[in-house]
Amino acid sequence: MSDRVEAVKKLFTSKSSRVETNKGDTYYQDLFEKCEARLNEMRSHTPANKLDFTDLLEENGIDRREFMKWASATTAMLMLPPMFTPLVADAAVMMNRAPVIWLELQDCAGNSEALLRADGPKIDEIVLDIISLEYHETLQAASGFQAEKQLDEAMEHFKGKYLLFVEGAIPMGMNGQYGTIGAAGETFHDHLVRCAENAAAVIAVGSCATFGGIPAASPNPTGAVGVMDVVKNKPLINIPACPANPANMVGVILHYVLTGQVPELDSLLRPKFAFGYRIHDNCERRAHFDAGEYVEEWGDKGAQNNFCLYKMGCKGPMTFNNCSIVRYNEAVNWPIGVGRGCIGCSEPDFWDKYAYERPMADAKIKAPTGGVEKTVDEFGLGMLTAVGIGIGIHAAASAIAGKREKSGESHE
Amino acid sequence: MNEGYKQVKRMTPAMRIIHWVNAICMIGAIATGLYIGHPYYQTFMADGAVDKYVMAWNRYGHFIIAILFDVTSVLIVYLYFFSRFEKPYKKVIPNAKNWTEFKDVVVNLVTLNRKNEFNSTHSDSFNTVYFTIFHLLLLWMLLTGLQMYVWGLGSGLSSIGSWWPWILHLSTDWTLYVTGGSKMDVRLSHHYTMWFVICWIVFHIYYQVWRTIFWKEADIAIVIGGSKFVKEEKANRK
Repeated sequence: MSDRVEAVKKLFTSKSSRVETNKGDTYYQDLFEKCEARLNEMRSHTPANKLDFTDLLEENGIDRREFMKWASATTAMLMLPPMFTPLVADAAVMMNRAPVIWLELQDCAGNSEALLRADGPKIDEIVLDIISLEYHETLQAASGFQAEKQLDEAMEHFKGKYLLFVEGAIPMGMNGQYGTIGAAGETFHDHLVRCAENAAAVIAVGSCATFGGIPAASPNPTGAVGVMDVVKNKPLINIPACPANPANMVGVILHYVLTGQVPELDSLLRPKFAFGYRIHDNCERRAHFDAGEYVEEWGDKGAQNNFCLYKMGCKGPMTFNNCSIVRYNEAVNWPIGVGRGCIGCSEPDFWDKYAYERPMADAKIKAPTGGVEKTVDEFGLGMLTAVGIGIGIHAAASAIAGKREKSGESHE
Repeated sequence: MNEGYKQVKRMTPAMRIIHWVNAICMIGAIATGLYIGHPYYQTFMADGAVDKYVMAWNRYGHFIIAILFDVTSVLIVYLYFFSRFEKPYKKVIPNAKNWTEFKDVVVNLVTLNRKNEFNSTHSDSFNTVYFTIFHLLLLWMLLTGLQMYVWGLGSGLSSIGSWWPWILHLSTDWTLYVTGGSKMDVRLSHHYTMWFVICWIVFHIYYQVWRTIFWKEADIAIVIGGSKFVKEEKANRK
């Protein structure tokens, strides 16, 4: 409850969730100069790894023109004016100067998968390839004491400079014993707190790390929570979704490399450039929603005609994310595009409250009275029936009592 | 007029107009709202999408009704405290007089009109509390409804300026935290509240009819003509 009070306080003291796409020429001129100075300074640093971005692009058959197209699209995604395009391109090349430590907690490694996937890596993935990944629990070759040593060294060497990416929820039940790491049996909670202490910023990647996600789904046996419930007093950025979109990870890192700041965040600490828009408003099937043209069952005529998936449980109208614009795997496709509804994976408690693949009115959820799960309408009809029965009894009793009174009167 | 009966005014024309606007709006809001929650009728496949626009019209109707509710709610809040006729807030203050009246009316209902010991020339405490509950439910519908509405103004802009989404966020974002933290909780709460409102309406109609039949004071006429009839001796009760 105190958490909620805090959240409400924060809400009323923070700026509205309005997305400011144009902050004025002076602001951008100022920012441009700052970014330029920062990039020039970074250029003098020695890269933390030997990977060369330009070489990697060439190896993967991506030419300069394609790269610049990507840079201008990414500039637009970060809601910066076109004059920033060369800076974004520069920042991408210098991504190997951004030390990243990646923790893997209670989750399915889906975000690491998203980071690596793509049989022919696209520019987003290549950018993520060259970041200076100092420690990644799933990907690194080292293990055991060797891995721990590597982590300690990285934390010492990049003290106060590294970005801490966290994937997965933190089990709090049983003193955190549901998840431990290393020979010393350090709990995920202690591990995270230790690593976050000297981080420049903490970035929670995926819905488990942001809101607890699937591990925190009812009945949440491990007491899983998100990073923001554990790490306080640190710049924290949430990139929810299941998995988080690599484009948004790149966006956040790029923004950091470019400006040295965290991007503008909404009340759930999600970057506004990615989570300031509702899926529904940029959906290619929106016209079918307004027309009342819905897929009634999988594979029907409506499905063949790409009708709206609302009745199949699409939660686009309640989900804020940019996947209807940037899509996944370098804009190849996204859930609605393949003909299945949105499950609201970037919203809090999505597994319990969004992912039931039927309209909200038909969803079996815990009724306010507790007990067996039922739909809101079943609960409502039950309540209405109870009222009806009550009224029926009262009406019948009143009628009988009234008659008796009358006959009583006539006897007098 | 029967002898021994006195005509008493119970609703002003403004109150009656608001009542019927609300009643009609409620039917419309439930019909369109159920469609929005789960589109329960289908459109003809063969018609072009441009000719249908069924969900959009339902949403349009739902929002226009919401605006009517907004306007009548503002009027009702005003009348609640400043009406020159009857100030309802005076009847919900939990003082001894109101308690006794409230109890007497409930007793009258559960004893099937065997006991009738209150003055029925004015809106009684029970009736006013019931009326207040309805308007609190309606207020909750407005707040949760506007919260859902502002999701569609994600960019913080609207055709009437950015002040509108700003004010909606400021006044309704707290519903997110109160209902459970996610947008879906607000939707579920809006849907649950509809059922509470329906149950409210059902009992309301029953109670008015029941009063009319058993009190024999023509209560049902209040909402049309504005007045009812009370036995003189009864009207003189404190």
